[in-house]
Amino acid sequence: MSLYDFLTIPLFQKALLAAFLSGAGLSLLGVVILNLNLTTIRFALMHIALLGAAIAMVLGLSPLAGAIAGILLASLLLGPAGDFLNMDTGVSGVLFMTGSLGLAFLIFYKAGVPAMDAFALFSGSILALNTLEIWVIGGLAVLIILIFLFFYREIQMVLFNQEVAESLGVPAKQIRNALLLLTGLAIGVNIRMVGVLLIDAAVLLPAIAALSIAKSLRGALMLSAFFGIVSQVGGVAFSMAYDCPSGASITIAAVLMVCLAAIYGHIVKSFRR
Amino acid sequence: MTREAVVEIHGLIAGYGRHQVLNKLDLTVRQGEALGIAGDNGTGKTTLFKVILGLIAPMEGNVRLQGQELDTPRLRRLMRCRIGYVPQLYTPGKMPVSVHDAVLMGRWSMGFGFFKSPTVQDRQKVSEILQEVGMSHKEWQPVHLLSGGEQQKVSIGRALVREAPILLMDEPSTYLDHASQAEIIELIRTIQLKHHLTLIMISHDPEHLEAMSDRILLLKNGRLEER
Repeated sequence: MSLYDFLTIPLFQKALLAAFLSGAGLSLLGVVILNLNLTTIRFALMHIALLGAAIAMVLGLSPLAGAIAGILLASLLLGPAGDFLNMDTGVSGVLFMTGSLGLAFLIFYKAGVPAMDAFALFSGSILALNTLEIWVIGGLAVLIILIFLFFYREIQMVLFNQEVAESLGVPAKQIRNALLLLTGLAIGVNIRMVGVLLIDAAVLLPAIAALSIAKSLRGALMLSAFFGIVSQVGGVAFSMAYDCPSGASITIAAVLMVCLAAIYGHIVKSFRR
Repeated sequence: MTREAVVEIHGLIAGYGRHQVLNKLDLTVRQGEALGIAGDNGTGKTTLFKVILGLIAPMEGNVRLQGQELDTPRLRRLMRCRIGYVPQLYTPGKMPVSVHDAVLMGRWSMGFGFFKSPTVQDRQKVSEILQEVGMSHKEWQPVHLLSGGEQQKVSIGRALVREAPILLMDEPSTYLDHASQAEIIELIRTIQLKHHLTLIMISHDPEHLEAMSDRILLLKNGRLEER
């Protein structure tokens, strides 16, 4: 089958639409993760997803719903918990990560659930998305874009220097916590598409590529969305045409974007000299 | 003639949770004064700034800015527009923010804000201030590529663009090389006279405050003492 034949099948149309929406909206949060130093937190959110799935499996519920519920709860609690315990968000992230991982393995052991069964749930498949899930991805992408559009200046201040933002009267902590919640949601949704282990390809790599060449936050956000769309849609299209796993294809496409951006950056620099 | 008291603090007890950092602190700063406060790390200099900025509420005592007591969260938030704040020099991340945008941030809640974009007047004010602090030639360069002294000028510009009568400066010249230190000291003195500002500067090293301050107080055991 050629790529064109795949495009006539609704299942693949849905997959490409989901890839486009995720790339356009969810990739923007990579810029937030990198600038607010939330890389530990995002790692914590992945492990909390494991705990959520473990609890859901023991209760006989959908492990994916449990994972997303866990991420949502953690996104809401991580920021305030850090403030309450007087800890840096990164440090409170380590606490949540190790705590949830330990608890998840205890639950797996006591309930007799093989750990690999839970991990398998996170491998993700963009082709397995149903219509409702695509609506959720689309809704979240639109929400993220609108939030960046309406609160661009405030987000810019928080990402630039939280202390300065607070001194100017910007509700920096609330904005940080809202961004954390959005990040959690983006991770939860992307888990379904690319899986826990490859989530960085969807969320972080487009932002890394964008930040290496952008000259303003606005430019970084636009480039991040562009790289997100190209890597996700390109990755899915490649996986269809050459019969490869979609998550791995998206990842390789995103890595390629980072390399190309780095090469472009070097060329521009050498021309300036 | 005695000048008007701009900052008045009486019997201030402040800290975090149950931990008291400032203990029955009294302070009066008069209009146009340049006050230096020196103290070792952890003595409460930054906490004092946070109280004046209204970011933390006093446990006891009262704080007045230009005669207005900061006794409610709303007043603490409103009175923040009377203060320009220059934070300690830090290494900015790699997020690209132009000098213009970094200074424009100072107009938040003054000119623009939630659901309100910066106006032409806001941007004109930024250009004027950049001229004044000598950074107009780098208006569109990213802040993270500037030298320490230039970044400090951007911070001062952001505080000035608020057109606030009080300026709080955290270690304004401490982490700079000698040439930049001299430049910043001269700039601070010039803007203070031109804008009739009241300055409060903190540093762990009193020597750094000498050239910029009319008087220097020491913060020890949660209280201020004459040097």
